[in-house]
Amino acid sequence: MNDPFQTLGVDARFDLDLGAVEKRHRDLSRALHPDRYADASATERRMSLSRAIEVNEAWRALRDPVRRAEALLTRAGVAFGDAGEPKAPPTLLMEMMEAREELSEAAHAKDAARIAGIASRVRDREAGCVERLGRGFDAAAGDAGKAIALLPTLGELRYLRRLEDEISAIEETLAE
Amino acid sequence: MAYSEKVIEHYENPRNVGTLDKDDPTVGTGLVGAPACGDVMRLQIKVGDDGVIEDAKFKTFGCGSAIASSSLATEWLKGKSVDEAETIKNSMIAEELNLPPVKIHCSVLAEDAIKSAIADFRAKQAAKRELT
Repeated sequence: MNDPFQTLGVDARFDLDLGAVEKRHRDLSRALHPDRYADASATERRMSLSRAIEVNEAWRALRDPVRRAEALLTRAGVAFGDAGEPKAPPTLLMEMMEAREELSEAAHAKDAARIAGIASRVRDREAGCVERLGRGFDAAAGDAGKAIALLPTLGELRYLRRLEDEISAIEETLAE
Repeated sequence: MAYSEKVIEHYENPRNVGTLDKDDPTVGTGLVGAPACGDVMRLQIKVGDDGVIEDAKFKTFGCGSAIASSSLATEWLKGKSVDEAETIKNSMIAEELNLPPVKIHCSVLAEDAIKSAIADFRAKQAAKRELT
């Protein structure tokens, strides 16, 4: 994928004003709208369409903190995912396992209040990760060595997001 | 993505789901995670005096392939010696379940879990020997 920061023409930072980025995405999308290219050549129409797709994809990447972090790591030349990320510390895995077990108990008992409690703890912790990534990426300023040090925090955020997905799925089932 | 019949079978009827006492000296516990997707897997073995795994349990929070991989692993572990158990490779699990390339990491996770459960069991045994 292309560098989403470059595609949208915004600063390559983790801490972004997402409202401003969204506006930028809207403006670009409007300028690239097929209606504006109705009289253009086939080549121009094709190019504007592929650029519009790229702009959408870039916005989807930047609005998601995990993918935003990945885009910054790519820029710094740091490998991530299964290939590059360190294994999660046992304490984190233990906490995730315990949270899942508590969650499945609460879901079984249809205890909405308890689920909401778990959800709010998970979200607070996610917010903490996002804040640390924001500070960390600013301090790293594109330096690969410093960016590598942020991988454990990104990993923690992934586990929390996965947990949050599950909480949302359970909340939806209970609401039905 | 289509799951193979074997994956669906294990997913719908997982074998050996549960927990063994992690403080029992004859129990080895492996707790592993997949950084890229956030799946968590716990696999436990209970080893008899003859060095044969008499029970195995797992609990996996993840996709169907991760659940099937760990379910199959516990099935294979029971009745094997610890040394035999150590020879189980992720490729064997992936082959048995017909995992597609994007799901190979689920079988890697199961192999990691087996290895880490064995390591935990051996560490406990070594600690016990030192005491006596």
